[in-house]
Amino acid sequence: MRQETREYNFDWMLWSCFSLASQLSAGTEKEYRNVLKYIPYFSGAMEKLLGTGEPGRRFIGITASYLENIINARERGRKTAMTTFCFSPALMYAMEVVPVGLEVMTVMMTLIYRRGTAEFLDFCNEAGFTETSCSSQRGALGAYIGGIGAPIDMIVTDTPGVCDTNANAFAFASAYMKVPFFSLDMPPDLTGSRSDRFHRDDYRALISFLEEQTGKKLDTDRLKEVLLEVQKQDVIIADLEELARIIPNPLPPVFNFMIYASRFLYAGMPECTGLLESMRSAAIMNVEKGVSGLAGGKENLRALFCYIDHYSQNLDLWRMFDEYGITTQGNILSRSWASSAPHVKEFGTEEAAYTIETGDLDALIDSMALMNARMPMVKSIRGPYDAPDMWLQDNLSLGSMYSADLIVYNGTPGCRNTWGMVKLLARDTENTGFPTYIMYADAFDERVQSWETTKERFLEFLTVRRLL
Amino acid sequence: MNPVFTEVSEVQYNRFVKRWKDEGKPVAGYTCSFVPEEVFHAAGILPFRIRGFSARETTIGDTYFGPFICSLPKCMLQCAGQGDLRFLDGTVIVPGCDSMRRLDECWRKAGTDIEGILPEFFFHFSVPHKYTDYTLTWFVEEIQRLIAAVEEHFGARIREEDLAASIKVYNRTRDLFGEFEKLRTRDDPACSGAEALSVLLAGTSMPREEYNVLLEEYIAEAEQSSGISGKTRLLLGGSASDDIDLVKLIEGTGALVAGDNLCFGSRFYEGRTGEAGNPVEELARHYLGHNLCPRMYGDYDRRLSLLMERAAKAKVQGVILQNIRFCDLHGSENGLLEHEFESRGIPCMRIEREYGPLVETGRLKMRIDAFLERIQQGKVRV
Repeated sequence: MRQETREYNFDWMLWSCFSLASQLSAGTEKEYRNVLKYIPYFSGAMEKLLGTGEPGRRFIGITASYLENIINARERGRKTAMTTFCFSPALMYAMEVVPVGLEVMTVMMTLIYRRGTAEFLDFCNEAGFTETSCSSQRGALGAYIGGIGAPIDMIVTDTPGVCDTNANAFAFASAYMKVPFFSLDMPPDLTGSRSDRFHRDDYRALISFLEEQTGKKLDTDRLKEVLLEVQKQDVIIADLEELARIIPNPLPPVFNFMIYASRFLYAGMPECTGLLESMRSAAIMNVEKGVSGLAGGKENLRALFCYIDHYSQNLDLWRMFDEYGITTQGNILSRSWASSAPHVKEFGTEEAAYTIETGDLDALIDSMALMNARMPMVKSIRGPYDAPDMWLQDNLSLGSMYSADLIVYNGTPGCRNTWGMVKLLARDTENTGFPTYIMYADAFDERVQSWETTKERFLEFLTVRRLL
Repeated sequence: MNPVFTEVSEVQYNRFVKRWKDEGKPVAGYTCSFVPEEVFHAAGILPFRIRGFSARETTIGDTYFGPFICSLPKCMLQCAGQGDLRFLDGTVIVPGCDSMRRLDECWRKAGTDIEGILPEFFFHFSVPHKYTDYTLTWFVEEIQRLIAAVEEHFGARIREEDLAASIKVYNRTRDLFGEFEKLRTRDDPACSGAEALSVLLAGTSMPREEYNVLLEEYIAEAEQSSGISGKTRLLLGGSASDDIDLVKLIEGTGALVAGDNLCFGSRFYEGRTGEAGNPVEELARHYLGHNLCPRMYGDYDRRLSLLMERAAKAKVQGVILQNIRFCDLHGSENGLLEHEFESRGIPCMRIEREYGPLVETGRLKMRIDAFLERIQQGKVRV
């Protein structure tokens, strides 16, 4: 790692960028345009976000405040927990633990830094972590194990049984940094009394771990407050998902990214609720006007991403969507598995969904356990891809419900789990009538395949299959 | 060494399996060391550890798996697809790691394209990733589920006393391996690392009672051996390796693999299963609690101390930690272990390789030679 990279803490640098960016729209248009000249590497991302109005402004604001919580955690007497995107931070907020989500921070950096997280990715390899590991954790992890991040007090993950490279990144960090570690384990079966019991027992063990690490007992009232907020958020997400069924889709493509990012940052907190509400209002306005959420106003294609998006600098993926009139009908990250979700009602998959019960402490904890067991990825790729409630079933039902014209897979070369079954999935979805494109890029590391090449290959697929 | 060990460890459909099948008895394959073989043994079924060594290419593996996947399950699928494993009446797939768990779907889908390669009994065996009271409960239930499925499919009856008897047979092997390890790690080891791996591997592909007899004979013979001396003693660790040629390559230039920590090697026989309690619970405790695989997240410190103990016992002068490309679990842990060994003054080398017939001999030999030279120079300096 270069000496100059070590001069400032990485999370402080990110906070500094997002904090200043959150004030971009506070001045006049002329001031805003002038400032963009000074941030050439992420002016595109800021324009794309702020172009959505209130939602974009709020999104940049909550990103900055998430980072501020991390860099000030020690001063405020809070413990920090390194964690993963598919672990609901709601419990941490209920226990006053500051979540440090590796993947969300990797994405923050890839969006605004010219070199992305390249130096940190490589530093992990210097420290002994494999280069074949997933770049989503490895990006931000390199900064923390390199000692240029806020102090980490504990590590919590929930991906054993779901994603080895994810779980392994946290286990490696724990051994390397000598920090206490807890992992929720996920059996291959999502439903059934045996799995439910396992999830509940495991979640209680997690709470004991957090109580031990923080020296504080779980506060029932606070937990209830957080869960009621989650419930509120689930209702708004259900509304947004319902709105996304309309043709043309009234949601700007970048809303999908903001929906899942807001949950990863602030599930159970008013920050997330406020952002979701503003997105819902903006989408309803588009419906009232009868327009698409696309910048160009014309919807040509509806794409369902069966895994994750591509996080190149400047939100290039979403810029491409706008440029070619492609709406995003969600991905594995944005889908909610609350029982209120439209697809749950449509396909009667209530057993695979969660319901929040707030009767007593046990009900609250059980609700959290079952909700966490249905987080993105944790829900859909834990078992065989063609088993009930798993990846194939989800994609076929969501593809038809959202009138998708094609299904797209994008991930990272580090994703051992999905690369082990994506060819089979694509064969089945193609046989069902969905043109399916497998991207060979790395969602978090453009050195693997440049965005330009990624875009060209994607457009080539659309052309060859006569979709555009 | 009795040549039967070499034959059994290097031929899939070896003479013991053939004879077993000729007698009309079933064979069940399994892909991971977390599967309690005793369950099959108790049912009169031959447990057979699936390996991929007879693959000479991965065309079938590459058809179903994506590109960024470990070559071990690809080779296993290749072997299945090219018909090398048609003698299997059943298979147990374990989500040992993400590459291996998808052998389930890939094999099933290949089975729809290539007739006759999918065993009728195809079982997904779930193993937790940590050892606690509730994960143990899960695992006990999982073994019971396996027993019920085996009984139903094969029409066998697995009684408690049958399981208890099988545990005794398998514990006998573990006891013998205790003696074998002593011979292997003495000042003048009784066998080379390549021989040791052959002996260890043979146990996974033949009837256990006969294997125990052969092992007893081998140990008695080896005790009389004058032993091997004057070699640089190494420990070989890391991800799944049943590649005897790799060990031969290491030993080809003045080294001796005096100890190993391989899933296909000594690690497989670690510890004894309890004989006092309920057999299913004892099996669960043993198989979930004694496995030193990095898939058991958060258990690094225990693995580190056991590996250090093993290195000390084998009196090694250096350690080679290998991993198959895309095996991030072993690869990353090897990175941590390398620091630990080096900080204790034990030279350590990490190598990344592909599973299967050695296609990288030149590259690996050059690195191994350089490593041995480094150890020799260290000795000279001292």
